[in-house]
Amino acid sequence: MAINDVLSPFRGWKHLFNDPVSIKDPINREAADRYRGFHQNEIQDCIGCGTCEDICQNGAIDMLPVEGVETVEGDSGLRPRIDYGRCCWCALCVDVCTTGSLTMSNLYKWADSDGDAFLFTPGVDAKEWDGEVRGYRRPEGYSLTPHERVEMREVEPEVRIENFEEIAAGYSIEEAIIEADRCVECGLCVATCPTHMAVPDYIAAIRDGDYDEGLRILYDTNPFSQVCGRVCTHKCEDVCATGHTGDPIAIRWLKRHITDQVPNERYAEIVGKPGPATGKSVAIIGAGPAGLTAAFDLAKAGHKVVVFESRKHPGGMLRYGIPEYRLPYDVLDHEIGVIAGLGVDIRCDTRIGTDISMDDLKADYDAVLLTIGLHLGRSTRIPGTEAKGVFKAVDLLREITNGDPVRVPKQAVVIGGGNVAMDIARSLARLQKQKYGKVDMTVTALETLDHFLADADEIRECGEEGINILDARGPQEVMVSRGRVTGLRTWAVTSIFDDIGRFAPHYNEDDECVHPADMVIEAIGQMADVSLLGEDLTEELEWNRGRMLIDKAGRTSLPWLWAGGDAVAGPDVVHAVADGHRMAESITEAFATVEGE
Amino acid sequence: MPHRPDGYHQMKDLTSLREVLELATKFEITARDFYTDLATKVSKNMRYLVEELATEEQEHVELFSAMLRRKDLAGTLDIKVERPASDRKFSDCVHAPDLGENPDDQTVLQYALKREQIAMEQYRTLAEETEPGPLHDLFQFLANEEAEHKNELEVLYYEIVHSGGV
Repeated sequence: MAINDVLSPFRGWKHLFNDPVSIKDPINREAADRYRGFHQNEIQDCIGCGTCEDICQNGAIDMLPVEGVETVEGDSGLRPRIDYGRCCWCALCVDVCTTGSLTMSNLYKWADSDGDAFLFTPGVDAKEWDGEVRGYRRPEGYSLTPHERVEMREVEPEVRIENFEEIAAGYSIEEAIIEADRCVECGLCVATCPTHMAVPDYIAAIRDGDYDEGLRILYDTNPFSQVCGRVCTHKCEDVCATGHTGDPIAIRWLKRHITDQVPNERYAEIVGKPGPATGKSVAIIGAGPAGLTAAFDLAKAGHKVVVFESRKHPGGMLRYGIPEYRLPYDVLDHEIGVIAGLGVDIRCDTRIGTDISMDDLKADYDAVLLTIGLHLGRSTRIPGTEAKGVFKAVDLLREITNGDPVRVPKQAVVIGGGNVAMDIARSLARLQKQKYGKVDMTVTALETLDHFLADADEIRECGEEGINILDARGPQEVMVSRGRVTGLRTWAVTSIFDDIGRFAPHYNEDDECVHPADMVIEAIGQMADVSLLGEDLTEELEWNRGRMLIDKAGRTSLPWLWAGGDAVAGPDVVHAVADGHRMAESITEAFATVEGE
Repeated sequence: MPHRPDGYHQMKDLTSLREVLELATKFEITARDFYTDLATKVSKNMRYLVEELATEEQEHVELFSAMLRRKDLAGTLDIKVERPASDRKFSDCVHAPDLGENPDDQTVLQYALKREQIAMEQYRTLAEETEPGPLHDLFQFLANEEAEHKNELEVLYYEIVHSGGV
């Protein structure tokens, strides 16, 4: 060995404090226009779905909070940070990006003495290639997953208008798997769902063909999964990441698919048994979705639960408000049967305030829960509404459910643009078809069609069934002649909201119409019948602008009384389910606190 | 028995801003007292509505009273003004209404909306019938005040009656 061989390793130390000798542009060659270089991200278009993070095979992407980007519905508030020590420039993240916000510039050369600089958040940390138009973008029309959802098969309008049989057929296994495959599992839907159903997990169960597991996941958060699989307002689909470049995943229909696939007799085993008896008891007033969800949770916690229902059958507005063609009674009966199977005692035909007093409930139970729904209809109180041929939609829907004899109008006008308006119009249209062989039904609403509160599907199906929808019409008078309704007089609504979105209707009085009808149905709003409380309890309770004052868990100002559901939070099934969970948890906590003391 | 002029005849004889404001004050006092009295009769769940209406009317009473006391308006108070066509409706509202023994929230709101509409029309007409200047601006201001209050009530009406009451 020569002496040089011994000394040469030590000569290198003379460069210890020198700058690195990386060459900034060693090749001096421009990349091709579609070369996959450093990432760019249109930060305002990005929704933080994290699909890029999931697909990256090298773990090069982390979703991190970014200052100035808030977490809101449909946006996690996170943004992708890329580690170029790991990135292999495959561009799968760009191909899978649900909004198309993530792209790659064609710049690929970057030298820096700071190794941490190669870990940055595109669109947030300014780089010289921001704004570079050359580079790789997902080709127009190309997508890793199909843009179109699998359409739900429905009974043809000319057939379904003859009867009250269910319209939606449900997905086949093949259809469900195709639809489930479109899900990118971002989970934005979970945050939006009021009861936080684990949507990506149950969709994954469909892909795995494990329906028992799917049902178990559903029932973890929603004992009305069969119901919500049919009539949920599915706001989850409004925030679905795939909806940015195509149809949102049919989350509601996939939920229904799982419940369709599991035989009824398997439910009890999958759902589980009631918990060991705690010795505590809870009275629930109202057997709607909020009350029965609370009953489900409380029974599982081991408490004795008695549900008091004033009507003949349980279900609340699910039964007495939603027509059978949207939610068959046998489906509802089965789902309620699962809850009753946990030992929940449902006593129908029992009206609190009349048959049993609130004082009795307070004395006999450890907690009382009020879930009385919105069963009273509002009236416009325009001239003529006191006439005999004017009805409230909720009353008629209840009579139809009860099987009571309902006067079927030859010609009818419905006032209202919400789901209740559509439900009564479509129910009466079916009765008209059965009795007179034709439909003559008009729906009028103050709002323009794009501001209707009704689901888009309901509006579409109304049109398909021959119901005439007239938007932006303000009711002025129910026309009455010799005590009989002859029609509804309306003015055109020129604007309904002011510049800042407040309700401030303006009419064009010159654009007047009289819609001939022998029946007018009002479906404009509902209210809770709080008369069961009585004067003393009403006075004792604290109120908040007409509603019972409750805390986040649904507890009223009185320590023994909880309240929730439509009567407190507004009409929506899945919100009622969420309320039921919150109240049950709060009651169980309250019991534990008392025990602890 | 001495003749006691009703609201209509009082308005008919109006000749000055002072008297317009005095009657307007009565208009608001009537409503304030009506709502204050009603608040003790209605059930607790709708008491907030009646109490808010009473508070709003009290604010208007204070507004009109303050105007009558303003020194810079002293010269304006005696300016002659035309009697507006909406006088009758306005003066009718100086009397407390009969909404029945136990009116519900919708009845109370409909009454309140009607009052605001009448007051707005009254001040708007007065503004239209006066020459541009401080008096015109004052009536315009009052019309805008009533219009704003009416808008707020319409929002509340829509929330309560048209949106499921929640």
